Amino acid sequence: MFRLHDVSYAYGGSQTGVAALSHVSLDVAQGEFRWLLGPSGAGKSSLLSILSLEVQASSGMVEILGVPVRQARRAGLARLRRRIGAVKQDFGLLPDMSVFDNVALPLRLQHRAEAEIAHEVHAIMKWVGLEHRLDALPPQLSGGEQQRVAIARAVIYRPALLVADEPTNALDERQAGRLMRMFHRLAELGTTIVVATHNDAIVAKYPAPTIELLHGHLVRDHG
Amino acid sequence: MARQRYHDGLALRQALPGRFLPFLVGSMAFLAALALAGGIAAHSLSQRWTHGAGAVTTVQVPGPTDPATITAAMGQMPATRIDAVLATIAATPGITDTHRLSDAELRALLAPWIEQTGDPSLPLPAVIELHTAPGQDAAASLLPRLQAQAPGVLMEHDSVWSDRLAALAGSLQACAGLAVLVVMTVAVCVVMAATRAGLLTRRQAIGLIHALGATDSYISARFATRVGLLALWGGVWGSVLALPMLLALSHLAAPFTAMGDAPATTPDWRDVHAWSALLPSALLWMLVIVPPAAGLTGWATTQLTVRAWLRRLP
Repeated sequence: MFRLHDVSYAYGGSQTGVAALSHVSLDVAQGEFRWLLGPSGAGKSSLLSILSLEVQASSGMVEILGVPVRQARRAGLARLRRRIGAVKQDFGLLPDMSVFDNVALPLRLQHRAEAEIAHEVHAIMKWVGLEHRLDALPPQLSGGEQQRVAIARAVIYRPALLVADEPTNALDERQAGRLMRMFHRLAELGTTIVVATHNDAIVAKYPAPTIELLHGHLVRDHG
Repeated sequence: MARQRYHDGLALRQALPGRFLPFLVGSMAFLAALALAGGIAAHSLSQRWTHGAGAVTTVQVPGPTDPATITAAMGQMPATRIDAVLATIAATPGITDTHRLSDAELRALLAPWIEQTGDPSLPLPAVIELHTAPGQDAAASLLPRLQAQAPGVLMEHDSVWSDRLAALAGSLQACAGLAVLVVMTVAVCVVMAATRAGLLTRRQAIGLIHALGATDSYISARFATRVGLLALWGGVWGSVLALPMLLALSHLAAPFTAMGDAPATTPDWRDVHAWSALLPSALLWMLVIVPPAAGLTGWATTQLTVRAWLRRLP
């Protein structure tokens, strides 16, 4: 779950930067699935970056999974990041590491046993249909395959909060459907999920409460 | 296809290659070892000049068995001149050691002159060597008292020269310390530059594992362990390369240092014991300490550099 109160964010600093979010307040409970909608430049990616602790809000209060972000120490923020999964538009895969190692990375940072890591990686990669590409390097994969690897890495440690930026834009309809069913299953298990998308068809097919932004302002919440 | 495994994506073997840093740190360790050896040698010379033969005061007592002049301090006890002189010296504070040369030692010392005169029965003075504590000027006040009891007593002391040489040794030690400081500063700068280059090489991976929840201490420890080990390895090579040079210098300097009793001939190259005897224990310890000191310096510098760099991440 997360709470935002009067949150603003500007690229390049709060005084001289370009405003990306203005006075946004939100309260999303545990296990909720939310679509994040809005045209390009509306502030969706900025909001997801704040929720995944990639950037700090310029002003306002951000509380994620019960932790007030501004008051948290760096080690506390690191612990919090281990409970947040993020799927980025650029996938964020390391090009010189195999698919297996990319997906295993979060578990290795949690010092899990190698046998357990291998089991988990094989299971999730089978689910995304890429168990035959474990030894490949990300540049050897198609865009859709890279997106599936990024999704697998984001969900392999069952995060309490999952944020995804256009996770279906490189997937075909069947794969997108499988992904949405998995997201809803994760939400039922207690993961709070926010998915940013431009894909009206998939929003219509999988209806859920929405957050809509326009020019950095919140124009619809839970509508 | 064999899967290449990076434990955590940092790929430090790529970020911090295993040749460049050990070579540079090894060079620094080599220079530091030489500078430290210079400092230790200067200290050794200073000790020798302050406490050893250089600080000897020589007292000559002509007619040693003649009766001494009776003074109030001696009461009415009859004494020879040499007994009176020895008693006065023994009662003087600041004198750490006294040695009266035996007849045989004296004749050996004066053999060239005695042979020239052709008279072996020539009366000889008694000669006493005094060692004074560093900084004490006991000899200056001693002479008038000795001359009061044994007129004609002569005293020669080399403390003026030993003090000057000790001051020279002190300045040499300061220069060696400064050289070590400069070498360490350069080594720290080299490690910082290498670490920053490594951070830039792997900045994408660092950003990713930071976003996945890796702590600053985890990332800095990974870099610091790698750099510390490379610096330790470089330090080992620096010490190993410095060893033959220090052995050669010790061999050349043996007549001027505390190792003056060492054989002047070059030991057989297979005789490890003879070679190791050439090096003072302080030098041997220094060579042992340089590698871990290099490793520790590399580790600490990297910790600080990485932590400062990570501060730019949220």
